[in-house]
Amino acid sequence: MLAIENLTVRFGGVVAVKGLNLTVEEGEIHALIGPNGAGKTTVFNAIFQVVPYTGGIQFAGRELRGLPRYRLAEIGVTRTFQNLSIFPSMTVRENILVGAHSKTQSRFVAELLGLSGEPRQRLAETLDFFGLSSLSPTYAAVLPYGTLKTVELARAFISNPKLILLDEPAAGIPTSEKGTLKGVIQRMRDAGTTILLVEHDMELVMDISDSVTVMDFGEKIAEGTPAQISADKRVIEAYLGEEIHAAS
Amino acid sequence: MNILANLALRGLATGAVYALVGMGIVVILQTTNVMNFAQGDTGMFVTYLAFFMITTAKVPYSLVLVLTVVAGALIGLIVERFMMRSVRSRSHLSLIMLTLGLSLVFQGLAAFLFNTEPRLFPPLVAGDSIKLGPVVLSRQDIVVLLATIIVFGVLYLFLYRTKQGAAARSISQDEYAARVLGIPTPSIYMLVWAIGSALAGLAALLIVPRFSLEPSFMGLIQVKAFSAIVLGGMDSVFGAAVGGLIIGVVENLVAYQFPAIKDSFMLIVVVIVLLVMPQGLFGKRQQRRF
Repeated sequence: MLAIENLTVRFGGVVAVKGLNLTVEEGEIHALIGPNGAGKTTVFNAIFQVVPYTGGIQFAGRELRGLPRYRLAEIGVTRTFQNLSIFPSMTVRENILVGAHSKTQSRFVAELLGLSGEPRQRLAETLDFFGLSSLSPTYAAVLPYGTLKTVELARAFISNPKLILLDEPAAGIPTSEKGTLKGVIQRMRDAGTTILLVEHDMELVMDISDSVTVMDFGEKIAEGTPAQISADKRVIEAYLGEEIHAAS
Repeated sequence: MNILANLALRGLATGAVYALVGMGIVVILQTTNVMNFAQGDTGMFVTYLAFFMITTAKVPYSLVLVLTVVAGALIGLIVERFMMRSVRSRSHLSLIMLTLGLSLVFQGLAAFLFNTEPRLFPPLVAGDSIKLGPVVLSRQDIVVLLATIIVFGVLYLFLYRTKQGAAARSISQDEYAARVLGIPTPSIYMLVWAIGSALAGLAALLIVPRFSLEPSFMGLIQVKAFSAIVLGGMDSVFGAAVGGLIIGVVENLVAYQFPAIKDSFMLIVVVIVLLVMPQGLFGKRQQRRF
């Protein structure tokens, strides 16, 4: 589904991503993990054509280089953000509808009178899927962080994307709500969306991922199933190294 | 009492002028975060074109009305496509300076092409003033008031009832996220500049019979329109409309007692409002805003 070949991203003299090869299979939850600064978010930014890169990024056999960002949603690729990017002065309903922009026909008069049948149904389904129905008319600005994370997921999901890139969906979410989040991500996959996940919460990653790629210093150091990864010596070193560094 | 009612209602008619200009500014501001300093003078410039269409080419007024709106929209498209788009990624402040420069270009161009001599502009609807009980209003005033209501209605429906409107509002809050979600930002920018500048043309054409056509005639009106949108909260067409009407009424009442401070009084009020409620009367901090 997504094939990254020999991806290299340089910022001045710093090599943020070095010769990365990564394949995400259709229908899987693929986690991309690694210590801070390993280059995970940079990979996302390369996919979305935000940073210049060398190498190839293909989605469903199509080279993404040079594609305007808004065209990615049209062909079925979308993302959420590490730091929430919700539209605060819009309601939950409006936020989610913006996500459907590329997939709704514009029938001006029908829109003025309220939504025409199909998008309205899709909106209702999406609100229900994420348990947001009762919050539909609420302004995003007044909602708690965890809820807004869910709104962001719903906003990305309403366009029926083939691939969603989730950038740290569990960051800032209370532990008590992480179970719900796991369930939501798994149900998104079961509904047919492939998921590429960057996440620091190892419990969440190991619980829901079908495969895991580990990066450190811009390079892939391991790849496999969650079980293989948690037993990998290089991975343990990379993470222990980080913890010692963080403690000092 | 009669005097007060008269002053207030005539103030409302003046306020409608500010509201019309203000709403055009807000539509662009709400999407692009750019305060369009050329709003007034875009209108002034196309009004010159309208003037010659009416007086020299004898084009029917109704057709001129349509052509003026179209000319305004075209200017908006050109400004967005050939000025804003290429500067947008570099510096936001430059975008605003560009509109300021554009305003001066329009004034200079108008003075150069048509000279600065004031011209009387025929009203859209001529005829005797209309008496509403104790109040007397000119027919043109009534047209301006009606136009304000219609424009507000249309803009409200556009911004809050269409997917393009929702897209436009989302861009100003987080452009990158909007793009990632599939909003074709270049075409939404074009659409919004066309709508805003079309409104500039419409507003100027409806206003100009109250004044006289000269390159500087929109200057003070634009300052008042800015005050209106600051008062109304910067990010809502409703705020711009109501802010405009309030300024018109207050200023007319003040002018009756203290003509000398008519123009400065309202600016002081705006400063006080901003100190007390920085978000304006209908700004973002409130939950419902329309």
